[in-house]
Amino acid sequence: MTATTAPEAALGVLPRSDGSAKYSHAGYTVTASVNGPIEAQRRDEHAYEAHVDVVVRPAAGVGGTRERHLESLLQSSLSQLILVKNFPRSLIQIVLQVEDSPENDYVNTKLVQASLNLAIMPALVQTAVLALLSAGVPMRATATATAIAIARQDGAQRIIVDPSPREIETGRSVHVLAFTSHGGLLLAESEGDFTVREWDEVYETARAICCRSAPAKDGMAMLLDDEATGGPDMRHFLRSTMESKVVADLHWK
Amino acid sequence: MPREAEPSLNEKQFVIQALQENLRLDGRELDQYRPLELTFGDQYGVADVTLGNTRILAKATAEVTVPYADRPLDGIFTIATELSPMTSPAFEVNRPTETEVLLSRLLEKTVRRSGALDTESLCLVAGQKCWSVRVDVHALSHDGNLTDAACLAVVAALRHFRKPDTSMEGGRLTVYTPAEREPVPLSWLHSPFCVTWSFFGDEGELAVLDATWLEEQVRVGSCTISLNKHGEICQIAKLGGTPVDAVALLQCTNVALTKVKEFSDLVDQKLAEDLKRRDKGGFMAELRAENDR
Amino acid sequence: MPLDTSTYNLALLRVDGRRWNELRRVHAQIRTQAAADGSSYLEMGHTKVMCVVTGPSEPGPRRGGVAGGGSGGAGAGGAGGKAEVVVGIVIAGFSSVDRKRHGRGDKRTLELASTVANALAASLHTHLFPHSQINVSLHVLSQDGSLLAALINAATLACVDAGIPMTDYVAACTAGSTSTYAANDEGADPLLDLNHQEEQELPGLTVATLGESDRVAVLVCESRVQVSRLEGMLAVGVDGCKQMREILDRVVRDKGRRMIQEGTVEKGVGLDDMDVD
Repeated sequence: MTATTAPEAALGVLPRSDGSAKYSHAGYTVTASVNGPIEAQRRDEHAYEAHVDVVVRPAAGVGGTRERHLESLLQSSLSQLILVKNFPRSLIQIVLQVEDSPENDYVNTKLVQASLNLAIMPALVQTAVLALLSAGVPMRATATATAIAIARQDGAQRIIVDPSPREIETGRSVHVLAFTSHGGLLLAESEGDFTVREWDEVYETARAICCRSAPAKDGMAMLLDDEATGGPDMRHFLRSTMESKVVADLHWK
Repeated sequence: MPREAEPSLNEKQFVIQALQENLRLDGRELDQYRPLELTFGDQYGVADVTLGNTRILAKATAEVTVPYADRPLDGIFTIATELSPMTSPAFEVNRPTETEVLLSRLLEKTVRRSGALDTESLCLVAGQKCWSVRVDVHALSHDGNLTDAACLAVVAALRHFRKPDTSMEGGRLTVYTPAEREPVPLSWLHSPFCVTWSFFGDEGELAVLDATWLEEQVRVGSCTISLNKHGEICQIAKLGGTPVDAVALLQCTNVALTKVKEFSDLVDQKLAEDLKRRDKGGFMAELRAENDR
Repeated sequence: MPLDTSTYNLALLRVDGRRWNELRRVHAQIRTQAAADGSSYLEMGHTKVMCVVTGPSEPGPRRGGVAGGGSGGAGAGGAGGKAEVVVGIVIAGFSSVDRKRHGRGDKRTLELASTVANALAASLHTHLFPHSQINVSLHVLSQDGSLLAALINAATLACVDAGIPMTDYVAACTAGSTSTYAANDEGADPLLDLNHQEEQELPGLTVATLGESDRVAVLVCESRVQVSRLEGMLAVGVDGCKQMREILDRVVRDKGRRMIQEGTVEKGVGLDDMDVD
């Protein structure tokens, strides 16, 4: 049931923006464009740092409060990563266009949804980071994120990585955690009811997914490592995506 | 809001002079489109159109709402065209520019007012319940000729779209979820497509199809003609600009008709391919369902 | 309100008693507002439009108008070495039968404004006034079809009154066809200058041409019609535009003659060709 397909990404998909990325994972597909540093409007101008503008656009319908909420979360997290002090009085504009999100086959979707959709957050963070890298915006660190749900199944707690809409609906709580490449916790948003111990467990799982140390040279060891922790290795994914892009770009050398 | 950079004088001169020698920067004929690609998403009602470097994503959705009081027998059909800063940083959120207004009016006239979608079929209970079909047009990348690409994307998305099945029993309306019943297509009457001519030269004597962004910036006028393959004009919009000879405009319309027929065939063919692809999945799903039993 | 156009075939007369190639009564005045740089009032049948032109002047703060720069996109504040034509349209709530509020962001109105601006920008010699703005405000007092045509004609007259150099008159009118889009009947007649009822029921288009030439500045068709109908409609429309140009020209010349007679303007060399008294 869970769409645990491997994440996929492409960089520089939009020819007319400074940087762009398309990322799809767990049923979510997001395209991001980054323009910056560009001229900021007077009202957005900061005397000492760049203004980071994040726009989240849903696939259908107009953006409402929940998109604004996601934008504010992303804005505060990404401003921490970007070296905003390098570009005073300018604007770094990140537009995230949701192209596809998994649908719950058991419910007819309503266009205007007031509830927060946390599960999309990791895809947004990941796409934004990739697009920023593609635009060559100087950053303190990169970031990786994951969504985790806690569901009760047959009386036992179960931790689900990258939950489907159905699992979120039936589960008890949803958590989104993002880590910087230095291993620091960048973002932690939770929804639903859970205990502190459960959150600790979620934290450890997320940390294992997001902050696994660079894979060993030996392919065999990597394979074993994967088996030991389970779930995708986000940091390695980010790295390999960038590496393949750089290799492709420097092909002529 | 940074303004769009204007091409330099040299650039403008170069483009115009080349066009006067029947040459285009990308080596196309004057009446040739850039390579057009149309793909459908995994979900119903998602169409992705790529025209050179211009890329449009259209997504159709439907939900049950209350019809407008003055039109109790009609469903609601809207086309939303909001150009985000992704298209170009010159576009701002929640502040429609002229481009956006004209694009949305054009799509509205071409698809909605020409009666391409039978809105009466969207009515469920007169005056109380109806379908509201909405198409969101997302311009991901703008390299000229947004209108033609957007119109194609909207038409393709709507024709690909399936809305949930419904039934009426003793005054009770049931809307089935996709898991219960296979969704049904919309009642589609005809497929209009836009063809945009750009005019160059002092007298607007050079007519060019599918202008790129650079060409759009130096053109002296444009004319968008919407037709369907039956040769019915749905809309013509030459909104000002340098005057063009009336006979030349008639000629443009005739060429547009042949292009529209090509578009029509392309969409038909892609829809058929997609149906085949899905049907295979449907067959597999059937097998699986049997296994479950 | 369905209209019975089938009577047309019996007497070849339209609902208001006109023949196929007749314009409605056109009444126009220029210099109606003493304080404005240029102004006009135009009636085409029951469609009544007022226009005031201000400028060319220094570009002020941007208001709710739609700009049509010279050829090749709108340059804000006429930065591209050309004057910017800014058009604002106000449609009065009492102008049509059902009182409707037209908001500022009404897309139809914005489209009309953009069309008028771009049509004028191509005819006015905007390159003579760099870094300036020509403000055109149009007020719709009464609507009975052919609105866009009336707006363009009124704007042209007001620009003439304002003394802004232009290539020629931009004259507009509408044309229609008696066939509905479904019927592919060859016997369909083209019609000139549609009123509101005809506009609702029959396919039609708005044409604006530059002066006496056959060159089309504006061509707007908003209804479904067979491609074969276009040629006839366009021909009738272009012909109507020429008639309209004559009418507009007469209005301007009459006003000029009267101004010289009244002594408001000195009889100059340039006015010699105008046969006064």
